[in-house]
Amino acid sequence: MTGTQLSQPVIQIGQDLTILVFAPGVSGAIAQIEARFQGRRGPRILQPYYDLAKLFRKETLVPEDASWVFLAGPVVAFMCYLVVPLLIPVLTTYGLPLGYMGDILGGGFILALAGFSVAIAAAETNAPYAQLGSSRAMTFSALIEPSILFITFSVALITTTDLPYAEAAAARSSFAAVVRPAHLLAALAFFLVVLNDTGRIPVETHSSTLEFGMIDEARTLEHSGAALALLKWGSNMKQLILYVLLINVFVAPWGLAGSRQPSAVGLAVVTFLGKALLVGFVFTLIDNSFSKLRLFKITEFMAAAFLLAVLAVLVLFLGGGA
Amino acid sequence: MIGAVLGAGSGLVNTRVPSAFSAVAEGITLVVLLSEFAMLRAPLSRSQIRLYSFQSLAVTALAAYVAAARGIPDLYILAALSLGLKVIVVPFVILRLLDDARVELVASNRLSVATMTLLAIGLAVFAIFVLGSLPVHSHSLPAAAFGLSAAVILVAFLLVIVRSDVVSQAVGFFSLENGVSVASLVVAAGLPLVVEVAFLFDLLVAVVVFGVLMRVHHGRTDTLSTEILDKLKG
Repeated sequence: MTGTQLSQPVIQIGQDLTILVFAPGVSGAIAQIEARFQGRRGPRILQPYYDLAKLFRKETLVPEDASWVFLAGPVVAFMCYLVVPLLIPVLTTYGLPLGYMGDILGGGFILALAGFSVAIAAAETNAPYAQLGSSRAMTFSALIEPSILFITFSVALITTTDLPYAEAAAARSSFAAVVRPAHLLAALAFFLVVLNDTGRIPVETHSSTLEFGMIDEARTLEHSGAALALLKWGSNMKQLILYVLLINVFVAPWGLAGSRQPSAVGLAVVTFLGKALLVGFVFTLIDNSFSKLRLFKITEFMAAAFLLAVLAVLVLFLGGGA
Repeated sequence: MIGAVLGAGSGLVNTRVPSAFSAVAEGITLVVLLSEFAMLRAPLSRSQIRLYSFQSLAVTALAAYVAAARGIPDLYILAALSLGLKVIVVPFVILRLLDDARVELVASNRLSVATMTLLAIGLAVFAIFVLGSLPVHSHSLPAAAFGLSAAVILVAFLLVIVRSDVVSQAVGFFSLENGVSVASLVVAAGLPLVVEVAFLFDLLVAVVVFGVLMRVHHGRTDTLSTEILDKLKG
């Protein structure tokens, strides 16, 4: 161990900044990939940054009936998305000082608080579409909740804690730990959860304003200016945070920095972005190769995720860990 | 203090990690179970048959894997037979019969998909816990595979019960045999080959019976649904 070492708080801030700075870029790149799939040229990869800059310069309008909650919602959500990267392994294999403040459930609660504050801000407006969006989003997040719980159980049974760092370390420990069915099933179930939470389930048209498939986009219809910018930025960050959990905890927890050297941490940022783009590619592939279903078919999707998560817990009970 | 608990990472890992062999074997068994669930949900008869073929492929792979890893050469013959019969011949025959019937879609769910899945999960939990409590120690496969194979059998029963068309019931019966195959790999992988082959030929008899049933039923009623079997024809 020679050379300069970054102090742990610096790395922790680095984790936050990685999410904050690169989230719109990753979304832009995914939008570009998606456009190519659909035979369009698509917007520039940097377009989300230009959008945010433009929105921050615009004035913020508030509907007549709305109270202070309408403006507080986006800010609270944004703060939540800033807190979560402190708790999860974005760049490092070792836990950082604040990393043990919250476990998977703690992170889940903070993400749920973010979703709740966006929904309540949308419900403030008395506008039908915003309320429809927030009601649908809340319903679906309640439906996916049992799967998340069972994934947490299986992580807890595998690692005897429910810290995301521990699950990642368990997956890194041996080949058998990666191919063990419980790990594969939990990872697959979490994949479906992320599919749901990033708006790519087969009933939702993400990034468009078609009424039938409008869920997440509808919630922000009434916001404008800086509040809308915070909401958009926040939803980009949420997507990247979920990718972190999927990649660095379940699917591919390799390529993280094992030391505190600047080069190792820098390399971890680059590797992570590469992996995030790969995951985004897979998601757009799935999103664009299945036809959209009726809204009420959603229970089938949720049942599939639940089945995988339950089986993960079951096989753990069965084989005493096998 | 927390740092001490979590240590350098290796201390976090549960020591009960399975061996790579049993992890892979259980993984394949799970694929068998998951394809049974997929059959339960599949709306088209054709996709059900393809799923059955896929499930049989997983069973074949499991037999070959056990043969290779545990050094039981008899199982290669079993794997080859099941590849030929269950993966290729049986699905092909049933698909040909469907072609003759010209029935594309039989909407036969008696329950909604989510309800069926929850019921099936309940059955799987029951099977896994009941058989998990038996003191079965197998030298060929992890004991967990035994519980999973019982879950396959029970879910296959559910498939036969909740879907009311002839193809689902045939496929449910055939895949039940897949569950029995997996169970026999667990408890008696060294079973004399004759017994294993007898199982397979049982399946052939069932194929003939269901083939005749499909033809006769379709010939009489112009449908593959069994919903109208309780109506008298005047």
